[in-house]
Amino acid sequence: MHTTGLAEIVRPRDLAEAVRLAAEGGEPLAGGTDLFVRLRKGVERPPFLVYIGDLPELRRISVGESKVEIGAAATHAEILASPAAARLPILRLALEAIASPAIRAMGTLGGNLANASPAGDGLIPLYLLGARVNLVGPDGERALAVEEFVLGPGKTALRPGEVIRSLDLPFPEGAPRAYFRKVGRRRALIIAIASLGALLWLRDGTIERARLALGSVAPTVVRPREVEQALVGRPLAPDALADLVEALSAATRPISDLRASAGYRRTVAGRLLLDLACTISPGG
Amino acid sequence: MAVSVAAKARDVVGQNVHKVDGPALVCGKPLFTLDMDVPGALVGKILHSPHAHAMIEAIDTSAAEAIPGVACILHFGNVPRIPHTTAGQGWPEPSPYDTVLFDRKVRYVGDRVAAVAATSEEAADEALRKIRVEYKVLPAVLSVDEALAPGAPVIHDEPDAEGIYDAQRNIAAAVDIPVGDVDRALAESPVTAEATCEIPYLQHTPIEPHCVIAYFDEDGRLVIRTSTQVPFHVRRIVARVLALPMSRIRVVKPRIGGGFGAKQEIILEPVAGALALRTGRPVRIAYTREEEFVASRTRHPMRVTVKLGAGRDGTLRAIDMEALSNTGAYGTHSLTVLSNVGSKTLPLYNKARHLRFHGKAVYTNLPVAGAYRGYGATQGYFALEVAMDILAEKLGLDPLELRQRNHIRVGETSPIFEKIGEGREGKAQIVRSCALPECLRIGAERIGWKRNRGRRRREGPWAYGVGMACAMQGSGITGIDMGAATIVMNEDGSFRLLVGATDLGTGSDTVLAQIAAEALGVSVDKVLVYSSDTDFTPFDVGAYASSTTYVSGLAVLKAAEDVRRQILDVAAAALEEAPEDLELSQGAVRSVRSGRAVTLADVGHRATYVVDQHQIAATASCVAPESPPPFAAFFCEVAVDTETGLVRVERFVAVADCGVAIHPKQAEGQLEGAVVQGIGHALYEEMLFSGRGRCVNPSFFDYKIPSALDVPEVEAILVPSEEPTGPFGAKSIAEVGINGPLPAISNAIYDAVGIRLTRAPFTPERVLSALRSRTG
Repeated sequence: MHTTGLAEIVRPRDLAEAVRLAAEGGEPLAGGTDLFVRLRKGVERPPFLVYIGDLPELRRISVGESKVEIGAAATHAEILASPAAARLPILRLALEAIASPAIRAMGTLGGNLANASPAGDGLIPLYLLGARVNLVGPDGERALAVEEFVLGPGKTALRPGEVIRSLDLPFPEGAPRAYFRKVGRRRALIIAIASLGALLWLRDGTIERARLALGSVAPTVVRPREVEQALVGRPLAPDALADLVEALSAATRPISDLRASAGYRRTVAGRLLLDLACTISPGG
Repeated sequence: MAVSVAAKARDVVGQNVHKVDGPALVCGKPLFTLDMDVPGALVGKILHSPHAHAMIEAIDTSAAEAIPGVACILHFGNVPRIPHTTAGQGWPEPSPYDTVLFDRKVRYVGDRVAAVAATSEEAADEALRKIRVEYKVLPAVLSVDEALAPGAPVIHDEPDAEGIYDAQRNIAAAVDIPVGDVDRALAESPVTAEATCEIPYLQHTPIEPHCVIAYFDEDGRLVIRTSTQVPFHVRRIVARVLALPMSRIRVVKPRIGGGFGAKQEIILEPVAGALALRTGRPVRIAYTREEEFVASRTRHPMRVTVKLGAGRDGTLRAIDMEALSNTGAYGTHSLTVLSNVGSKTLPLYNKARHLRFHGKAVYTNLPVAGAYRGYGATQGYFALEVAMDILAEKLGLDPLELRQRNHIRVGETSPIFEKIGEGREGKAQIVRSCALPECLRIGAERIGWKRNRGRRRREGPWAYGVGMACAMQGSGITGIDMGAATIVMNEDGSFRLLVGATDLGTGSDTVLAQIAAEALGVSVDKVLVYSSDTDFTPFDVGAYASSTTYVSGLAVLKAAEDVRRQILDVAAAALEEAPEDLELSQGAVRSVRSGRAVTLADVGHRATYVVDQHQIAATASCVAPESPPPFAAFFCEVAVDTETGLVRVERFVAVADCGVAIHPKQAEGQLEGAVVQGIGHALYEEMLFSGRGRCVNPSFFDYKIPSALDVPEVEAILVPSEEPTGPFGAKSIAEVGINGPLPAISNAIYDAVGIRLTRAPFTPERVLSALRSRTG
């Protein structure tokens, strides 16, 4: 097992230099909470690392009229402490479920996205809010919808030399209710077996609009749009949603691994809909 | 918290004094095994078998030896073959001699093939990669059922093994102990209940893995500084394996980062010693976390079946307990852990007159099981206490009341004490202290037993329930465990306490200092403890079997009383009074007649320099006269998510009787820590294996233990009793706490949702599957 001799870490002066170093083959390093695990396992051996974790332009969190912009190197803890989390309850719920206080103090939302794990808790709110990913690379800037950015487990649309600059999280219209639940064997420092996040727009106890995002049950986070549609017009009560459990399960493409079997993941993903109905009270 | 009762007035015992090693630990002083830098030390590494069962056809080390910095490579071809056991136990050793340092045959993925010593980590790693081994792969046995099947491959077919019960049938050890006629009593009992419970491979996960440094002192003697629970057994077994006179070996145990039984094993010490002897240079070896999981030791996976027979009034008539234990590739602790499954459980319900304990410990081509906190009792209580819950339901009786009707009480005995001992017959004893009734009462009150049980309270998908269990353990091994202590008085009135006893983070150095200080009428800071050094401290079997406070504590007390008599003699001469009229307390000797006094410093100075000069000192030994059981009652509330199968422990109440707690805070810590470890057993932990016997989750990434954020509210409550045979009334506390969580949580899940979880851990997937098969 390769345990010693981690790659050299280079500190760029600014974002432009970071992009140049990334184009030379350097792997961007922010919080390192995922990257160092992979480096220590020896599954990835970049020639050198580019530390972007303290570039001021990547750490800004700004709350605008219509959206929140979060710098790629802002840590989960910083985001949770910022007005952005207060304005976006779904973001707060998901980020609070990440790992442990120590990991949240180091890990970044940009890194969580770049890691592109289907189990990434931070990705759920990005999918639900329709976040855009602002990229900067040797050929200039571009922006992608999060669903275009994540291509598969550990796979993204990042081109060589491209770095995530920031994430735009648009405010949803109205005041949807937020739900996030992750299922794992224990509470802290756990990778989800399955997770469900939701935004629900309610009127008089009836669902007017719904967005759902499932984690850990497919190669990427999944938006089950048919179920979202089917929820419209239904009362928010377990009995009224029971017949959609199967449909939600059917939206998954899970694998079996050490943590759980595919069958369990499929079952539980569907049943989280009932947990959602019990957790969100239609009134308040 | 401790329940206060009118206890005898004591100055030091029962006080939460500062830990004697606390300041140095808190300051991060270099106290642990590998904190010491021995100049020129080589790095030792071990080559592990990639096959579960194979013969080594050939081994070629030439390419590895050619790597610059590689000093030595040991393997079966260049090391003498000396059968031994790695179990650090008393004498005669109850575990089979089925292990050699390097064998031609490998018996599990992780077995030792070769060891390398090199000048750097990198050179050692490269050498491991370049050792060429040709294996002839043999069919592997990956479960106890396969091992016992007719025609199964024989794992221990070597001719020189000794003490294996039936090597041809892969049975390392077997016991069958009947009392009365259990079959008839079961058949005639109007109400019966049965439970079969299973525990998987579990690892101790001490924060500090096994590590050792072997070097030579100025006289060329081999010094082994090691993270061990059993320094004197290390010396004995290393002497055997390396064919060295014991007098050429010194074993030193510094501060230890936890053991939980995994370090009651002699694993790395003989390897480091052999490499050091061959190279003439110091050698250090440290296991990685992966090696700690795979190639140290584990709990014995076990399937235990309990059958209970009772009268309609709830009085137990018969208990039949059968255990099928998986000892893995080697039989270390196989017989004694198996025996303990029955010996530490059956006496608890001594109203049953007809008993039978029988079982086998079976070899498989899987990692080696050994001692683990609870030592078989944990496996036994899981099945016994789930069966008791089932029986209570059949009787229509409150489970609490069923226990109250049947548990052992002060002045009572059980035939099991005499029938089952440390791999042989035990010793009869009566229970002289037992606060279990009080433990049960307090625990039931704290959890709200009457209010919460059988309610099936629901909140959305969450169902709530409460469960309980009882347990006992022992305090040392009667007639076998010996601990000794030496107390030497310094001329300033302070004392040196030298003990072989082994503090592995448990706080025993502090407890033993408190016992000495109490008996000598001084504060703890006047007692300087030096422990676990085979050159400088007297013998002690080490830290296992919940023995230290009781056995080593009694030795300290005896030595202190001897020193106290010597002090009074010197003071009597100084004061010109009779020793009978003198009292020793608060650092001085006072005459109750005249009121005149001399300080201990005066006494020390006088004895050292002035009149009748001599060293005030004493050595005393104690062989465990009995093994008084500590008792505990466990209560918990769980929430079960009926949609996902997730189980959450909401509250856990553990109430224990450890006699007089010498250091209540530390005793509570032991109880709380054991409960948390038990919750890990119940909900999270399980080593998983591939179809070829390779452990697939040997890391904290994939094998989860309870983290600080997972631990529920645990109330650890001590209910004092006064154990008349113990030092200042003390019994043990280290192990009893781990026996409760598995059955208590299983019973609470039943109370919540009506399903019996009998296979640990109770993962969301298993719980959901049980819920679904129940609803059909």
